[in-house]
Amino acid sequence: MSAAADVRRRLRERAEHALRQAAMEDLRRQFPAATVAPYRDRTDLVWRALFVPLYRRVPWSTKVRVMEALRMTATRAGWSRPERTARQPWRPPVRSDGSAGDAAR
Amino acid sequence: MSERLVVIGGGGAGISAATTAKRVDPSLRVSLFTEFADIAYSPCGIPFVHGREIPRFEDLFLSTVERYVEDGLDMRMETVITDLDLDRGTITARNQPEGFDKLIVCTGFHWRRPDVAGANLDGLHYVKDIRKAMEFDKLLDQLRTVVVVGAHPVAVEMAGNLGHRGLEVHLVDEGPWLLHEVLDPDVAEPVHESLRSRGVTLHLGTRVEAFVGDDGKLRAVATSDGEIACDAAVIGLAKEPNAALAAAAGLRVGTTGGLVVDDHMRASRDGVWGAGDVIEVPHGLTMIPIQGLTGSHAYAQGRVAGANAAGEDRAYDPVWVPWGMVAGDYTIGGFSFGETLAQAMGIPYTVAKGVGVSRARYYPGATKTHVKLLAEPGTRRIIGGQIHGGEGVKERCDFLAFAAKRGATLDDLAWMENIYSPPIGALFEPVAIAAQNGLADLRRGEATPEQAPKPASAVPA
Repeated sequence: MSAAADVRRRLRERAEHALRQAAMEDLRRQFPAATVAPYRDRTDLVWRALFVPLYRRVPWSTKVRVMEALRMTATRAGWSRPERTARQPWRPPVRSDGSAGDAAR
Repeated sequence: MSERLVVIGGGGAGISAATTAKRVDPSLRVSLFTEFADIAYSPCGIPFVHGREIPRFEDLFLSTVERYVEDGLDMRMETVITDLDLDRGTITARNQPEGFDKLIVCTGFHWRRPDVAGANLDGLHYVKDIRKAMEFDKLLDQLRTVVVVGAHPVAVEMAGNLGHRGLEVHLVDEGPWLLHEVLDPDVAEPVHESLRSRGVTLHLGTRVEAFVGDDGKLRAVATSDGEIACDAAVIGLAKEPNAALAAAAGLRVGTTGGLVVDDHMRASRDGVWGAGDVIEVPHGLTMIPIQGLTGSHAYAQGRVAGANAAGEDRAYDPVWVPWGMVAGDYTIGGFSFGETLAQAMGIPYTVAKGVGVSRARYYPGATKTHVKLLAEPGTRRIIGGQIHGGEGVKERCDFLAFAAKRGATLDDLAWMENIYSPPIGALFEPVAIAAQNGLADLRRGEATPEQAPKPASAVPA
């Protein structure tokens, strides 16, 4: 692995770790009996204090655009975003004369 | 002379790639190289043999080397590839270079090693190779206490099974609840209880600081919460792509550490494909590359890579990751992501929750099925979810992953058809109940969209 690829991998790992820890802290407050405080490393302080609040201020739609622009998604590697179009709900068949079938009456 | 395809790796991806390629183009000369002595077995079954849920390791084998040779594959067992030269089109094994026309890289994963003192002591075990598992299994009868380090699903399965076998088991993990990378905290309690009932002591929010040994052999694990005396440790921290050989040859590696491939499993050089745990593929909603999926993903990717290497034109879709497992005796599962991951990423969602039963409520053996769905505010398209309880978790997660991929909404699920047959299905489908509850909450204005960006003060420093 090249040095640049290794740096990108480590940055992603640290960022995800910090974001996950912050989310866990928020969610576990609803279940104090079943959870404990996660172990926190002092080296994470910068990520917690700076990166997490900044990341959370940015709306998801903007994050998506930034990730695309920075080529962080797989679209750069030949993948296309699936359409995920919900299909139309079932409708009664249309008769040859153009009127709706019995089920529509 | 016909072309030669070399497949590196004999796991699910490698074997499916090799057999599919040979089937699509019988004239292709296909050679499969694996460093291991065995092939075509289910490593995912190893914890359950240790736990004596499955009687013998031999039961995990699906086929034999001889069978693949009969099918026309050139099987190179216990053969390590030490060099890969893509410019010349050669691999080197046992100091002998051999040429290839096409290559499929399926080198799988390795377990992350603990970055603490004593990690090289004798007595640390990793769940991967069946022969090593057989040796470990023989040792288990003489052991009393085992520490499981990490909460990867395989580690949790090992803890539950070793407890089932009667060993004293300690599970140490830094997270605030078990399986926190995939599971939400509302499911934590039954999972913790189930493992405790099997004799597993949980040390959550706890870091391993060192492995302590005498004469090179493990005798204890030092943690941030004290020392745990033990006879052995099982390490289940994280699976990492085994991409060193491919990366050294110049193939592009992504932000997960996995090989970058396109939707045809083509790697960054012509004539080279990748499949399985060594590659990264995009998540269907975010398109962000992820890796370390299931054996069924590896197998399907191998088929796509093999077919395309043999001349077909098959595409692989971004993934919605249905998953499921038994933690202790409790079945849990999900698809795409849960609240923890959605919140971490900042993806807006609303929650729809419901509880149903797996069979008619009066039928013996009926269990509660808890369903939580995450949907996009506005469109109400489902984007993730978790299910836990007894029966039918796996099937519902598979179905929901597919429904999400096709853009199904809470409205679609609320009025879905379902089977009603007392021994196998209740009148009201738990998924539909959750979706109906979610819609009702939305109508009442109770299901407020989550994930408005939180103020910085909400983040503990």
